[in-house]
Amino acid sequence: MTTLPTNLSPMGVNWIGLATMVRREVQRMVRVPIQAFIAPWISALLFIFIFGFVVGGRINTIGGHRYLEFVLPGIVMLNVVNAAFLQSSSAIYFSRFIKFIEEMLVAPLSYAEMIVGNLSVVVLRAALTGIGIMVMGLFFGATHIESLALFLFWIVSVSAIFGLLGIIVGLWSKSFEQLNMPVVFFLTPLSMVGGVFNTVEMLPDWLRWLAWANPIFYFINGIRGAMIGVDETPPGLGIGLTLLLLAILGGTVWRLYSKGYGLRE
Amino acid sequence: MPTPALKITNLRKVYRRRGNVAVDDLSLTIEEGDFFGFLGPNGAGKSTTIHCVTGIAEPSGGSIEIFGLDSVKQYREARRLVGLCPQEFNVDPFATPVQIVDWMGGYFGMSAAQRKSRIDALMESFDLTEHRKKQFRELSGGLKRRVVLARALVHDPRLIILDEPTAGVDVELRRVLWRYLTEINAQGRTILLTSHYLEEVERLCRDIAIVARGRIVREGSKDEMVAGPGGLEQAYLTATGAEADHVAGQ
Repeated sequence: MTTLPTNLSPMGVNWIGLATMVRREVQRMVRVPIQAFIAPWISALLFIFIFGFVVGGRINTIGGHRYLEFVLPGIVMLNVVNAAFLQSSSAIYFSRFIKFIEEMLVAPLSYAEMIVGNLSVVVLRAALTGIGIMVMGLFFGATHIESLALFLFWIVSVSAIFGLLGIIVGLWSKSFEQLNMPVVFFLTPLSMVGGVFNTVEMLPDWLRWLAWANPIFYFINGIRGAMIGVDETPPGLGIGLTLLLLAILGGTVWRLYSKGYGLRE
Repeated sequence: MPTPALKITNLRKVYRRRGNVAVDDLSLTIEEGDFFGFLGPNGAGKSTTIHCVTGIAEPSGGSIEIFGLDSVKQYREARRLVGLCPQEFNVDPFATPVQIVDWMGGYFGMSAAQRKSRIDALMESFDLTEHRKKQFRELSGGLKRRVVLARALVHDPRLIILDEPTAGVDVELRRVLWRYLTEINAQGRTILLTSHYLEEVERLCRDIAIVARGRIVREGSKDEMVAGPGGLEQAYLTATGAEADHVAGQ
């Protein structure tokens, strides 16, 4: 009697299993292109056209940049945040709801591989969404990148943060209603007041604390700094906050997986 | 003494949220190459035991060894040796049979070439070739069952766990399945089968354990259980207490 050989690399990582997780999610994403890409691109195009082009034509330059150039990084970040959160939360919740998450639980996959597999697809979807919007921005002459390294840092780290947050929500949710709650009550409001369309100076004094207390404000300013060199936050604060959030959320997700929360009976 | 295919020692599973003990101090040994029947009424703890063995549920106590490997500490090596065909269709309904089986092979670390040849063979064995590109949700109940079986077997596991594999399938598929399982058991694969069809267990299994209220209430060879008055059915009813309950209710 022989059993089919299965491959575990010398590093002890089930690379084929990991790649399969990514391939599977990509195949799922490809099945719903309108939901995954077309919808955010159309929404971004409308934002660019209305706020950047029509309204922006009547607004003075900000930091020496046209209003559209100022708004575009925020629109990119807004969609990166949404894409990352929706990808991981829906992937986890759907697989729990239909129970095909059990396919992974019975397989020789570690928790780390499951988390990394999930986040890889999150970053891929968020990056593709962002790149699509950047391409649209090119047609309006608004796409610039001052620092590619920082731009990549913000795309990858912010999508990982919201991917991790999406995993937590996907594990916690017991209904589609619960799955949508964080988007409606937190993500959308925080994104809208996170400085996509305005600088802190444009806000009345009594409202400025809201921007400083909003993590998304730092992400938008970070990517805006990487794209057009305009960043209202103190140097290093946004990066520090991002790394801290990554560590906290990464640790939380690791702990939830280790306890089998929402995964194992 | 050869290493058993499956050794469960004092397994306990408590669902804290539901507040019930699903499996209570259950011990069981299945020798390599056996065709083992695991019987019991609904809610007796059969599926929970299987879930603990395969990693879907976390045991509250006790230990599980698969071919001598600890199912928790050596989960990677242990899981490679097990294939599970669950009771429910825990499958992405929009995926095709080929995708479903292919993904599972990938999770088990099989290379693309290994997966391809294995998938072709399984599709043929279970008459799925003409349905391989259809979405799972479009398939009939019997075809869905075949896909789930093919998925369980893709990595050619040494221990195959079948949780009511013939529930709701037609006679034809049942016979195809029986023939296939008999063949792979003859090749040395160990099979753990749960079923509510006693004639199926009687036909296929060599050893049987009967579980009720989370505990093994009777264990032995099929021949021994069938030999008693009333055969396997009587042995089952007596062991589970169903007969006494039935009489008391009259």
